[in-house]
This record gives sequence, C-alpha cells and structure tokens, in this order.
Amino acid sequence: MRTIWAPIILIVLFATPMIQLVFASETPGEYVNRAQEIWNLFFRMMTIAFVVGGVIAGTIVWQVWRFRESNPKAKPTPYEDKGDL
Amino acid sequence: MGHSNWPEWIYVAVVIALLVYVGAEAWNIENLIDHAPEDAEIIKVTAQQWFWSFEHADGTKEIGELHLKKDHAYKFEIHSKDVNHNFNIPEFLVLMDAVPGRINTVWFSPNESGEFDIQCREYCGLIHYNMRAKLFVEGS
Amino acid sequence: MVLTLAKPRPIWQIMFSTHHTDVGLMYLIFSIMALFIGGAMAIAIRVELFAPGAQIIADAMTFNRLFTSHGTTMIFLFLLPSASAVGNYLVPIMVRYKDMAYPKLNAIAFWMIPPAAALVWLGMADFGWYANPPYSVISAPAPAAEMWIFGLKILGISSVLGSINFVVTILKCKHPDMSIGKVPLLAWSFLAASTIAIMAIPTFAAGLLMLLTDRLGATGFFNPLVGGDPIAYQHLFWFTFHPEVYVLVIPAIGMMYEIIPRFSRRPIFSHSSGVFAFVLLSIVAFASWAHHMFATGMSFTEKTVFMVGTLAAVPASAMHVFNFLATMWNGRIKFATPMMWAVGGIALFFSAGAGGVVNTAMPLDFITHDSYWVVGHFHLFVFGTIAFGTIGFFYYLFPYVTRRMYNEKLGVVHFILSMVGASLTFFTQHLLGLYGMPRRVFDYPEIPEWIAMNQIISIGAMIILVGMGIFLVNLIYSSARGKPANMNDPFGLGGKYYYPYSQLNPHHDKAGY
Repeated sequence: MRTIWAPIILIVLFATPMIQLVFASETPGEYVNRAQEIWNLFFRMMTIAFVVGGVIAGTIVWQVWRFRESNPKAKPTPYEDKGDL
Repeated sequence: MGHSNWPEWIYVAVVIALLVYVGAEAWNIENLIDHAPEDAEIIKVTAQQWFWSFEHADGTKEIGELHLKKDHAYKFEIHSKDVNHNFNIPEFLVLMDAVPGRINTVWFSPNESGEFDIQCREYCGLIHYNMRAKLFVEGS
Repeated sequence: MVLTLAKPRPIWQIMFSTHHTDVGLMYLIFSIMALFIGGAMAIAIRVELFAPGAQIIADAMTFNRLFTSHGTTMIFLFLLPSASAVGNYLVPIMVRYKDMAYPKLNAIAFWMIPPAAALVWLGMADFGWYANPPYSVISAPAPAAEMWIFGLKILGISSVLGSINFVVTILKCKHPDMSIGKVPLLAWSFLAASTIAIMAIPTFAAGLLMLLTDRLGATGFFNPLVGGDPIAYQHLFWFTFHPEVYVLVIPAIGMMYEIIPRFSRRPIFSHSSGVFAFVLLSIVAFASWAHHMFATGMSFTEKTVFMVGTLAAVPASAMHVFNFLATMWNGRIKFATPMMWAVGGIALFFSAGAGGVVNTAMPLDFITHDSYWVVGHFHLFVFGTIAFGTIGFFYYLFPYVTRRMYNEKLGVVHFILSMVGASLTFFTQHLLGLYGMPRRVFDYPEIPEWIAMNQIISIGAMIILVGMGIFLVNLIYSSARGKPANMNDPFGLGGKYYYPYSQLNPHHDKAGY
C-alpha cells in the first residue's frame, strides 16, 4: 500500500500552498468582492474539469477508434476462443 | 482479482487528490465570503406571493424596487410571509432562501452602479416566473 | 419465449402470471409507455419555453402541473420500473434460481404501479416533484396534491417490496456453488441499489404521511403558521431522494458492466473493484443529502460536512469509469447499438459527475442553485447516464424478449440523434444556468442570451424526440417482423454467454416451443 502516500504528497505539494496563497491575497480595508471570488473559483474548477474531461473523453475516443473490430490492427482477444466470456 | 491492479489505485489516488484540492479551495472561498463585515447596513427583505418588499435600516420601505449605494456593505435579513422563496440577485451572486418562520442572512457590497434584476429562484407557485424586482445601485 | 408475436400468448396469461420474465415484461412495457408519456410532457415544456410569452400552454398553472408530472413520471414510472424490468429478467438467471424469491409479491409490486400512475397522471399536482411545504401544505390545489401523495405512497411500497425481493433472491436463493463474490456485477448492482432503497424510502414514507396530515389540518409538522418547520420536510425528502439517485444510477452501471465486456470481447477488468465500488457507493449515498439544501440557510459547518460527504461519492464512481475503460483496452470492440449507448453513457457520466462536484463546492452553489445549471446537471445523469445505459440494455435484451433482432441501422440512428440531442440540450442548460435563468419558470424576460439558449435547448429536445420516435417504430416493427435472432449469439460476438439467458423456461415454455 505504498500508493497511500501519493494523495498525501499531492496535498502537501499543491493544496496547502494554495490555501496560504488564497489567504494572503486578502487585502484589508476593502469589502470582499463576492461575485469575483466565486467566479474565480468557478473558473479554476472548470479548468480542472475540462482538463480531466479532455483526458477521459480523449481516452474514450482513442479507444473507440483503436479497439473497434474494423480497425486493421484489431486482433482477436485471448478470451474469444474460450467461448464463455 | 488474479492480476495486478496498481494502475487503478494510482488513478483513485489522483482522483482523491483532485477532490481534496476542490474541497479545500471551496472551503477557502466560502470562509472568505461567509462573514458579513461589522459595518454592513441591515436591509430586511420580505418575500410573499409574488413580490418583494424591502425595509432599510432607517425605516424607509420599498416595494419591488431596492435602492442601494455603491461600495457600501449590505446585509440582507430575508424572511417569507407565506411559502418558500429564494432572494436572488444574479449579477452579484446573492442568493438565499426566504423561509417562513426563519430569518436567513446574506451580505454583499455592490461594486458597480446601475440597474440590476432581482428574481425568485425557488418555485413558489402561480406567478413564480414573474416574481421580480429591480435593484438600483447609485454611484458613491 | 416471452413475447413472440409470431406465436402470441393470450394477454391474460401474461397479466396473471407471477413468473419473473412475465413480470419483467410488464415492467418493461409499462416503463416504455411512461417514457413516452413523460417525454411528451417534456416536449410540451420545451415548446412553451422556445420563446418568451405563452406559446402552447395557456397558463402558468398548467405549466407547473406539467413539469411536476414530467419529473414524477420519469423518476418513478420510467426509470425505477425499467430497472426492475431488467432485474426481473436477469437476476434470477444470474444467481441460477428458478424465479424471484417471492413470485406473488413480485407481481403485487408491479400491479401497484398502474394505480399509482393513474393517481399521478389524473391528478397532475403542481408543487414540483419535491412537493416542498409550506407551498404543498397551504397553497397546492386540493385533489391533485392528495392524489400525488397517495400515488407516491403506493410507489414507495411497491419499490420496497420489489427491493426486498431482489435482496432475498440474491442473498438466499443464489446457487450454493456460487459465492457472493462471484455473483455477476449486474446482480450485485441490484443488491446494492435494493439495499439503499430499503434503507432510504421509509424516511420519505413518513414525510409523506406528515405532509398529508398537515394538509388535512390535523397536524402542523411543516406548517410555520402553527409552529412547524418546512426545512424538516426537505431533510426527510432528500434523505430518501439523494440515495434514490444511486438507486437509479447503480443498476444502470450494472447494465453497462454486462454490455461492455461482451462487446469488447474481454472479461471485466476487475470484478472485485466493481463490487467494492458498489458497496462503497451504497454507504456514501447516505452522507450527502443536504447538499440540495445549501441555500436554506445552513451554517458553514453543515455545508462543509455535506460537501465532504458528496465528494466522497466521486472516487467510487470514478472506479467504475476506470473499470469500463480498462475492460475496453486491448479488446476487439463490436459497436452494435447496445455498446454505443453504453460508451455514450460513460462519456456523459463524467460530465454529469463533474457538474455535481461544482454544485457541491460550497460557494459555487450561489451560482448554480435552482438555476438551469441544475436542470442540465441532473438530466445529464438521468438521461445521459441512466437512460443511456437502460436503453442500451433494452436493445441488448431485445432478442431475448422477442426472439427477433431489432433493426441495427435504426438503433444506430436513434443513438446518434439522442447523443447529439442530449449534448445540445443539457450542456446548453448548464450555460443558461450560468446566465442566471431560474428553473420551474413558465415564462422569462426578453434577455437575448436567454432566448437564444432556450431555442437551442428546445431544438435539442426535438432531436431527442425524433430519435425516440424511431426507437418506438423499431421496437414495434422489429418485434413483429424482425429477423429471427440466433439465440446462442444474437450479436455475433462469438461467445456462448447469451445462451443462459435464452434457455427455455419450465414455467411457460412447453417442449416444442
């Protein structure tokens, strides 16, 4: 279970500095611009969503193109001869 | 399982890391906007089927219109006289349910002057679609 | 075996049967009928919203009744029965038992649905599918609201009875040689979903009774005029109906688990991680209900708890996606109609899930709450994911039910139209929500962006409608005139996996069928 460290390392590397960054950007004296803060968060989330979505959609499209049975490179899978899939 | 499954665990770890980031970011921003400033002026908002009425701190009352000043902080105390409504100014992302028997609060500070829409965002019956008001923000 | 129009069985024989395939057939036909009735309501709504001002619906009251009935129909009369149809057909076969554990109870659970549907459709309540008080207590017109309450009461009991049947069939009637870990993932999905349903539904059942006595004036649980709390109802409602989302989505994922390995000609990448994700999802399902209520004046702490509970459901869903993609990897995929629906469903499943993460990120609720974003989000789930999996599975079951093949070309056209229509409709609804348009509105002001987007959405809905029309023609024509299917391998995949489905049934299929 060495992989349990991966999320922890990622949190330390990315999430924690981000928390500090956001707090540091607060300027005293003026009112927080609510709409601006929320929209900024929204666009950060959308950046993540579209990157991850692009990876997943890209993977699906590539798989659909590469592993379709009409692809010239398609090979019978080792499970086909056994009959019961 | 019968075969090695490490790619799936790495994938799950990445998903969890992303979710932790999303959660932390959301918590931050919520923390930033949650508390109203001390000097916010209180405006009482009353929702009823199917119009909005407002009462300023100095006792001035308005129906269907709300006049505010730019760069002042305002805290809305929202309640409803009949069914659930939702007080919403889309331009400034002000949004809070008006629930009978409760007073909900939300605050904001208009940073531009002009004329904006106020609408009801929670289904409240026959004329829900037209339960609208106007927000006028006057320059400082 | 079940519905061969060449050799029709008398209709009473099907109606009074308690055999799992007959009950499954009735569920199937009923759910398809409900899909078209609910769809007609959706089309009426979309035509009305095509432009500002009244189009075809005369008044707001009719519009409110329509969207309420549309939601109730699609969730309770299409999606739940369609899952029960698939489960009834295949769960006993998968656990190698002769029938469901309680056949009579099974038939009773089905026959409770038509009267409930009659109550919902004849009443046409107007308070939204969530019936929030105080509106539903003090404002909603009389016979319709009570009819809806009784209709849902009956549907809830039917759902619990059906769920008990699935749980008992899988746990107690599975073949002694089959360990619980070896039960196929489709049957596992029914075990998980049924367990959630049994645990979740009683809460709303209580809420419904309280709503009814409130309306009668006997109590004031949710009526603030006599000291009640309308928010309490929302907790009871969402404690049932957030898990209900998983009750709907888990069987659809189970159906994809059946389709994807077959058509990829590879076994499932990891059976155990599928089981793990189902179990995890059915526990986490209960940790997120109040994310529907962020705007009711919840405290920062409450919101945080429910945000974390909601995000916790994502890894389990992501594991399913991984499992699907890893199964397709290195396969030799035959893109017959069922596989297209399943893969399209996975693609939209991601978008739906990502939208859900946005909804639950606390401050973003100020953007999305009760806007068209939410409408787009949950339609991507219920149509883009759940109905895609289910309709794909209907095509997959078609040879089993009718012993004939559907028309492949029409099936592909249906898929393409639905995929294009769903993307156009539901992604544009997300955008419209960002522009601030509230849901459940009969009319809207003449804002140019709103008008343009509403028109795109309505056109998308029409594309879906055309696809569904083709679906109906395909179903009716092919079950009467379709090519006879090769029952050992109707999709030409080269396995014998379809054989157990098509074995003759000792109950109804006499020798020499």
